[in-house]
Amino acid sequence: MSDRMLSVTMRINGKDTDPVDLPEDLMLLEYLQEYLNLTGTRYGCGQGVCHACAVIHDAPGGPEVVPTCITGVAWANGRSFRTVEGHATRDEQGNVTQLLPVQQAFLDHFSFQCSYCTPGFVAAATALVERLEAGPVAREDVEDVVLEALNDNICRCTGYVRYLKATRDVILNTPGLTTGEVAASDTAT
Amino acid sequence: MRRALLILAGLLAFVVVAAVIVYVAFTGPGEIPPASRDLANLSAEERAEMAQAGEYVARTGDCVACHKSPDGLSLAGGTPMETPFGTIYGSNITPSRDHGISGYSADDLYRVMVYGIAPGGSHLYPAMPYTSYHAISRADNDALWVWLMAQEPVERPNRPAELIFPFNLRPLLAFWNLIYRPDPPDQPVHGITAPQEDQLARGRYLVEVLGHCSECHTPRNLAYARKADAHLQGNVIEDALAPDITPAGLARRGWNTQDLERFLGQGLSPQGVMTFRMFPVLSHSTKYMTPEDIAAVATYLMQDAPAPTSPEPRPEAIAQNAEGHNHYLGLCAGCHGANGEGQPYGSVPLRSNTSTMFDNPLNLVRIIREGIPARHLTGYQRMQEMPAFKDRLNDAELTALVNYLRQRWGGHEQALSVEAVTDTPG
Ligand code: FES
Ligand code: FES
Repeated sequence: MSDRMLSVTMRINGKDTDPVDLPEDLMLLEYLQEYLNLTGTRYGCGQGVCHACAVIHDAPGGPEVVPTCITGVAWANGRSFRTVEGHATRDEQGNVTQLLPVQQAFLDHFSFQCSYCTPGFVAAATALVERLEAGPVAREDVEDVVLEALNDNICRCTGYVRYLKATRDVILNTPGLTTGEVAASDTAT
Repeated sequence: MRRALLILAGLLAFVVVAAVIVYVAFTGPGEIPPASRDLANLSAEERAEMAQAGEYVARTGDCVACHKSPDGLSLAGGTPMETPFGTIYGSNITPSRDHGISGYSADDLYRVMVYGIAPGGSHLYPAMPYTSYHAISRADNDALWVWLMAQEPVERPNRPAELIFPFNLRPLLAFWNLIYRPDPPDQPVHGITAPQEDQLARGRYLVEVLGHCSECHTPRNLAYARKADAHLQGNVIEDALAPDITPAGLARRGWNTQDLERFLGQGLSPQGVMTFRMFPVLSHSTKYMTPEDIAAVATYLMQDAPAPTSPEPRPEAIAQNAEGHNHYLGLCAGCHGANGEGQPYGSVPLRSNTSTMFDNPLNLVRIIREGIPARHLTGYQRMQEMPAFKDRLNDAELTALVNYLRQRWGGHEQALSVEAVTDTPG
């Protein structure tokens, strides 16, 4: 680890973090877990392959997913991210009052078993839904964009289909994400 | 006026007649030595033995690289090869009667390999590297023929070349051949199907003839022929740099014989992992070569090389190019390490990486922009996928990063301009 330090602050789940001196080669995942105690973001492969560690980066061009295990604080500094802790609506005491549609759909579809991969899937599916809000796709392309958006995420338990179907259903059930007719049969779960 | 026209017409007629005479007299196939053995009367056992030897010839000659079909059928043809004049597709060389080479005799194959002329007299484009294969031994040719004829025919039509005028006129190749096609050697060649004591000679034959390394690694002139005075000095081909692999060029980038053997045999060495068109060379060719032959190739390529002198890392690049250092830590160091050390079975070290050392930044730029697919090398050796960063770096950021890598580990002190970095294909 480098002994050169970097003064770092970023926006996490809508709040600016206090500036802190970090080793300049620290990865974002370690900053989230060890410094901010946000342990929902998971450490899987550590090599950018499994996306268990993915979070949403609110880039100027729209939300995108980054693997935090290989993304350094040197790059993250000054940017804005959303982790799995930041998606749901909470009351004053910090208790969850409402989940995101994607989170609810994953529960309803029994999408996960051990859940190690889930935070990464939530990030990827949520970023996709938000991208579609800005630019809807044709009904016939929905399955393809879902597969493409979730394709980088590895799950060793479920076989993916329930994640894919849950995400597809959120998209089909949310007005404005698709163009063209959505058949009633499409939205039945 | 009329007189001038008459003279002009006369001259033109003369040129045409001369061209026809030259064409007929000089551009056809030359001599074809007798077959290495009586191919019409092989016993089943001899045939099997020759086919096995022929398969090794096909491997070392890397026929599959160009002749496999996009759906992965070996030798069924269709792999595109981009040239400045258009695209040429590898042909079907399975023994299919309608689309392949079932009608070829061993002599026909020799004529193709050595003279670039197909049965019936039509000229092959030199994308088929007959200018390298021209020195193939008759025994190697015959073994290759036996093996080719023993393959499953695939009924897949050839895809015609898509070349611009006048390069689409095949007969004109006769004149190209006249100037650029080397004569076959006068002495019978010692091929690889015969055992050989002389390691250097075997290495030379593997590199220069069957391996046809110079087809990519030697710069080409305006006529798209290899420059004889720049043999193996590196060339940009299909939007990638096939680097300088002369002994001096290799030594300058820190290669020694042992590293070269690892790179050719396993696809990986401290200098990096096989990328672009070199990865198929590993998968179809070099990983099948015997350790002795890999050693012969490395020995030949490194013969009389000066001691390796790879560039010293320049830690001063950190201060010199703070922006590049920051991008490196933010986007690269997670896999490649803060000091470029890499990770076994994951990502290559950058501190000894040859791509940072080239003068031409092309390969480095393309790899950062496009990433590299996961690599299954040999045995248990793997390299994980490298993501593409073209959406996460703008031109100025990419330039800073490329310069940083070159300045820290590639021995380049000077920074390249944004144009020099970003005006690369891809
Ligand atoms: S832990 Fe980050 S991609 Fe696997
Ligand atoms: S639910 Fe166990 S890894 Fe996905």
